[in-house]
Amino acid sequence: MKQDLYNKLVTYIIENQDKFYRLAFSYVKNQDDALDVVQNAVCKALTHYKDLKNEEAIKTWFYKIVLNESLALLKAKKRLVLTDESYYHEIPYEEKQFEIYDDLYTQIEQMEEDAQNIIKLRFFEELELNEIAQILRMNLNTVKTKLYRELRALKVAIEKEAGV
Amino acid sequence: MKRMAEAKQKYDNIPIPEELSKRVMLEIKKAEKKHNKRGLFMKKITAAAATVAILFIVGINSSKTFAQEISNIPIIGSIARIVTFRSYETKTEDTDISVDIPSIELISEELNGLEKGVNEEIYAFCKQYADEALLRAEQYKKAFLETGGTEEEWAKHDIKIKVWYEVKTLTDEYLSLVIMGNESWNSANNQAKYYSFDIKEGKWLTLKEIFGDNYIQFVEENIRYQIKQKEEETGMEFWDEQWNGVDENTKFYINSNGNPVIIFEKYEIAPGAAGSQEFEIVK
Repeated sequence: MKQDLYNKLVTYIIENQDKFYRLAFSYVKNQDDALDVVQNAVCKALTHYKDLKNEEAIKTWFYKIVLNESLALLKAKKRLVLTDESYYHEIPYEEKQFEIYDDLYTQIEQMEEDAQNIIKLRFFEELELNEIAQILRMNLNTVKTKLYRELRALKVAIEKEAGV
Repeated sequence: MKRMAEAKQKYDNIPIPEELSKRVMLEIKKAEKKHNKRGLFMKKITAAAATVAILFIVGINSSKTFAQEISNIPIIGSIARIVTFRSYETKTEDTDISVDIPSIELISEELNGLEKGVNEEIYAFCKQYADEALLRAEQYKKAFLETGGTEEEWAKHDIKIKVWYEVKTLTDEYLSLVIMGNESWNSANNQAKYYSFDIKEGKWLTLKEIFGDNYIQFVEENIRYQIKQKEEETGMEFWDEQWNGVDENTKFYINSNGNPVIIFEKYEIAPGAAGSQEFEIVK
């Protein structure tokens, strides 16, 4: 049974690797880091596949790993930058990006972590709200509340959409 | 939601580097090698081996250490037959060892003596594997205890050494068998050795024997072509860039059509999920 689940996990990873890469890239914003994130995520998943309870959980479980790996890499980089003198030179560059309000994608990238996670998973990866709740280990209502709030903040018109 | 659709568009347009699938496959390969330790145990045993196993149970019950020669358990065929020449199971404090050594008997009189050398080689191979595996088990135990493991924890290890064989083909013309050795704790030492025999001609078959001096090029091209076809059909990516090509040790058996079938063990040329791969080379 476990072998069967393992094979399904491998198949799922192979079939959806592009999605994981895009999600990783949207956080770490460069190819090398995104590749590292996906590779690490695959390694972790296959090492700890015994934590996986059943086939239905593969999707949310693996997304969670990709997300955690992306955020962990970002945090590690930030720490590195803070101890580095070049940090001071980078400030103006970061602020420039803030000015492009026109571009919603860039705007999403500027949002705080929780909001970014929810928006990306909901609208880019098109996951269900209950899946997002599982991935982020949040209450379903919390996810809904945050999503509405962030969408308002983004001044995106909320149309009647199934599941939102 | 128009702007959100545009944002998603931008997200979907993130280019996927070619390297991605290579990195993913690399990790899958690495992990599978580590995790899959008991794969070979799943393989079915032959009818003869099952017969032998029943005898063992009786033997084990009557004496603690059981070693006995069992001969003349015919498998199949009229011209040649495979018998389990020697079979033994030993249980020490730490290790279970079970070994089935096959022997080929040719009925045809004029070929007498030819199989003798072969049987000696098979015997040597089986014995060597079992001896070396036992040594590796002892080393493993030593390392385990030296790195802080206790005798008690060690006792929980299920250390098994197994050498057995399967007859792949036995027709009036050809005989192919595979001898396998495996250790329960380390799949890296699993071994499979294939033997093919031309009964009519009374000689061992090599790829060179079958395809002539240009066998390397011929077989390699044939396999690469088949890989390409399989990739197109299934969408699965083979790891043929890490394949070292054909040589005199390339594993093969003769199938019932009389054609050689090249064998790649699990992980050797394709993801483990795809299992072992076989390529029939039509003569």
